[in-house]
Amino acid sequence: MNLWKDFSNGLLKENPTFRLVLGTCPTLAITTAVFNGIGMGIAATAVLVGSNLIISLIKKVVPNEVRIPIYVIVIATFTTIVQMVIKAYSPALDKSLGLYIPLIVVNCIIIARAEAFAAKNPVINSIMDGLGMGLGFTVAITIISAVREVLGAGTFFGMQLFGANFEPALIMILPPGGFLVFGLSIAAFNKIMSLRKV
Amino acid sequence: MRDYIRLAGILFFVCAIAAAALGFTNSATYDRIQEQQVIASAEAKKAVLPDAEEFENLDEAALTEIKSNTKYNYITEIYVAKAAGNVIGYAIQVAPKGYGGEVEVVVGITNDGNIQGIKVGNNSETPGLGKKAATADFQDQYVGATWESPIDVIKNATPKGNEIAAISGATITSRAVTDGVNQALEAARELSGK
Repeated sequence: MNLWKDFSNGLLKENPTFRLVLGTCPTLAITTAVFNGIGMGIAATAVLVGSNLIISLIKKVVPNEVRIPIYVIVIATFTTIVQMVIKAYSPALDKSLGLYIPLIVVNCIIIARAEAFAAKNPVINSIMDGLGMGLGFTVAITIISAVREVLGAGTFFGMQLFGANFEPALIMILPPGGFLVFGLSIAAFNKIMSLRKV
Repeated sequence: MRDYIRLAGILFFVCAIAAAALGFTNSATYDRIQEQQVIASAEAKKAVLPDAEEFENLDEAALTEIKSNTKYNYITEIYVAKAAGNVIGYAIQVAPKGYGGEVEVVVGITNDGNIQGIKVGNNSETPGLGKKAATADFQDQYVGATWESPIDVIKNATPKGNEIAAISGATITSRAVTDGVNQALEAARELSGK
């Protein structure tokens, strides 16, 4: 029961993208195509679950004064290992995600969950929190990517949606479009959440 | 004071474990990563010059001479393509500067001066815009271009002859790729002595 709560927390109530507004840098930077959104989401989830697991395991031996540098080391090490393994065993995935994997190190969702959750909770709960937050992040950036890709490129998952005469609104896949869609999505999400409570 | 030493010691210990984990992963994956890069590079060459049976590195002296010429500043590698023992063309790797850094392009040029194919590889161009340079739609425009005259990039018009249409919203990337291809054409012409 409690595990489910930890998991579902990241989906709606504390959705990292729409509610906590964390990890905005990758959110704005990579949401130009649905494929990128899903890829980044999965890669970040893998690192998030791994770092939550390890930080929860070592929480008793980490002195309070140096906990942040230690978290950073754990996250950076984990990300680098993931990158090397992907490079060695799945060059195709590396080719499409290559640029985004090192970006995970600076994804503040991961350090925020390490500090706010994994450092205070048991291992199993921390894994569930990582999965829930990761999934919430993945779904959120996939939605933003879908809007931007459809409007800005006229495609969905690389498939052409409209006829040849469709003139895509290029601004949507440029940085301003990222801010526009991100802001409107947060507004829409908050509206939906406020209706739910009543 | 003792406290600082203790904290530094713990940090040092954590770093040591992290370094060991990274070192171990690196040694376990290094050979495979190198292997994958060799395969990827061989595939790229094969894709731009399908008729070639094997690729040999251009000899060191000739490559150094070409690279020292400032008009070939984008050229990074040159391979001689052979079939049945004869030289049939060149696969030339160039790395022109795009919008987000270097764009790796491999150009396949036959002995009589035609481009058989180009392949845009590693790059940091904008996803959805400059990254489109790696699509078949863009790359195929270069097929059949010759070294008789340099390739031009045009916008909002139908390309003819040695012209290619820029990717909309990514003119800098289109120009960069074309500059690289033009250098490769020039170098191939010089190498073949025509």
